[in-house]
Amino acid sequence: MDILGVMNIGSSALRAQTIRLNTISSNLANIETTRTPEGGPYRKKSAVFTTASTSFEAHLEQGRPQTAQGVNVQYIRTDNGPGKMVYDPSHPDSDENGYVEKPNINLAEEMTDMMRARGSYEANVTAIKSAQRMAMKALEIGR
Amino acid sequence: MIHGLFDTTIQALDKALELRSQKLQVISSNIANAETPGYAPIRMDFEKSLQEAVSGPESGQVRTHQNHMPAAGGKDLSDFRASFHRDYDRSGIGDRNSVSIEQEMVDLSENQIRYEAAIQMLNKKFSMLKLVIQERT
Repeated sequence: MDILGVMNIGSSALRAQTIRLNTISSNLANIETTRTPEGGPYRKKSAVFTTASTSFEAHLEQGRPQTAQGVNVQYIRTDNGPGKMVYDPSHPDSDENGYVEKPNINLAEEMTDMMRARGSYEANVTAIKSAQRMAMKALEIGR
Repeated sequence: MIHGLFDTTIQALDKALELRSQKLQVISSNIANAETPGYAPIRMDFEKSLQEAVSGPESGQVRTHQNHMPAAGGKDLSDFRASFHRDYDRSGIGDRNSVSIEQEMVDLSENQIRYEAAIQMLNKKFSMLKLVIQERT
């Protein structure tokens, strides 16, 4: 069952990386958003990862050194740090001094995070492919 | 376990395949958690100890005199277990995650190559056995 376990772990990681990529694209899309239902500008969101048991056995053996675990998104963290203050008196959301609070998103940070998400995704796909190839080879024993 | 027909080599290869697929799971766990805060990568060691178990003393029958026939015991590797430990991050900076994705990818491909090598060896052993048990026509 080990090889199928690898598939489960790999797919949990692919799911987690997809959620991470979703938050990144949400951040990029809302880089200029100054109005949200919660009020104020959009706040940067990021996915927080945690280890996850992909099988009942793994859950029972949690904490032991040999327990292989998958990954899960624990929650989406909202960064409540201050946004960039941009001077734009003509903007409808500008304050009495003419400043607009833009979302606290750094474009370069989001782009590098996106590259890392893609790299992790590819690494997990490679692990799944390796498992698949090993399983196919095992079927050839005795041919 | 039938000794004689399925010798120590086949047993060792069989065990190696089992351990390699277990190691694949360990590596994939490390890759999946490459960015999980606080995750310490699992390290699995068995190569040296398996080699020692294969070349070590035979279980079961023991030859007590040098003039006796060699004991047709063979080795029992079914109880062999790999050893595991975790590589905790000791740098004290960052999110206490110490996974090196490059290291894991190298381990992944090495593991796969060694798995396939073991399968090839097993296939060779079986084809030799097949040749031997064939009826001459």
